[in-house]
Amino acid sequence: MTAATAVQSTFAMPSPDGDPRRGSDERTLVVSAQQGSSDAFAALVRLHQRRAYAVCRAIVLTHEDAEDAVQEGFLHAFRALDRFLPDQPFGAWLYRIMANASLDLVRRRKVRDADELSESSPAPFRDPGEADELRRRLSEALTRLTDRQRSVIVLHDVEGFTHGEIGSMLGIPEGTARSDLHHARAALRRLLKDVRSDT
Amino acid sequence: MTKLTWHNDGGEDEVARNLRAMYAAPVGEQYWNDLEARILARIAEVDLGWWAELDRWARPALLAAAVLVLAAGVAMFRARQVETRTAYENILTPSPVPVETVIRPTLEGDREASLRDVVGHKDRSNGRP
Repeated sequence: MTAATAVQSTFAMPSPDGDPRRGSDERTLVVSAQQGSSDAFAALVRLHQRRAYAVCRAIVLTHEDAEDAVQEGFLHAFRALDRFLPDQPFGAWLYRIMANASLDLVRRRKVRDADELSESSPAPFRDPGEADELRRRLSEALTRLTDRQRSVIVLHDVEGFTHGEIGSMLGIPEGTARSDLHHARAALRRLLKDVRSDT
Repeated sequence: MTKLTWHNDGGEDEVARNLRAMYAAPVGEQYWNDLEARILARIAEVDLGWWAELDRWARPALLAAAVLVLAAGVAMFRARQVETRTAYENILTPSPVPVETVIRPTLEGDREASLRDVVGHKDRSNGRP
């Protein structure tokens, strides 16, 4: 299996332009970036930033935090680039870094929130634009899940990652990711059981 | 109106659809171009910051190292000069301390030798059973 197919199949990364040469191109970019080419690293950022954002967004609570996590994740990746083996799937490596950056940010937020504990409870999922009752209830229900359950359900049901990929990103066994997904869905079903929505 | 259910067969349902809507990534190339620029700027800021710091210290450090090497070279040269001069002067200048030679007496008087031989012979004879 080439690195190209490894990237495509191991991490189910859809090629944005459908170019089958993307994997080998990506490996070339990685090698160039490791040799100090900032243009090559910029190309890697361009190639992966949307997926990286999706990974981060699934783990953190807000869009702004996702942006911060993406920036930190790419910075970590840049610093660790010389330790990356170009024959490995770059996406898997990068998204794990993204997930770690996001988890760090969530932990920091929790510490900060604990320090700045206010009387009013935060409403992290409140989307100002939402008008739909289901979405409002869904936002509330998501806050009842654990961080990991929420991350797993979004990564799986929204972003389409497999259990194995999610386990790899979050540093948990595949079975745990599967179990988290099951419990998250059950919790959402329970919390939303009285909600009916137009299809 | 449909009851909210979660399809395990991969079919679309309301929860999944709403989740996707809630977590949808921003659209528009401009947003992603801006994000890319921010990411690269952040990296450049940290990267350049580190190099700038190194660069700031590198020049004085190189200068200090050059001065140290020069000073060490001068000190070694002067030490060797002093050593050579001292050795030269030691050769030319006569020593103020008189040289004394002590000759160990190697010859003993015949009388004493004979006496020792006799005494020794007598001791050996007395020691016999």
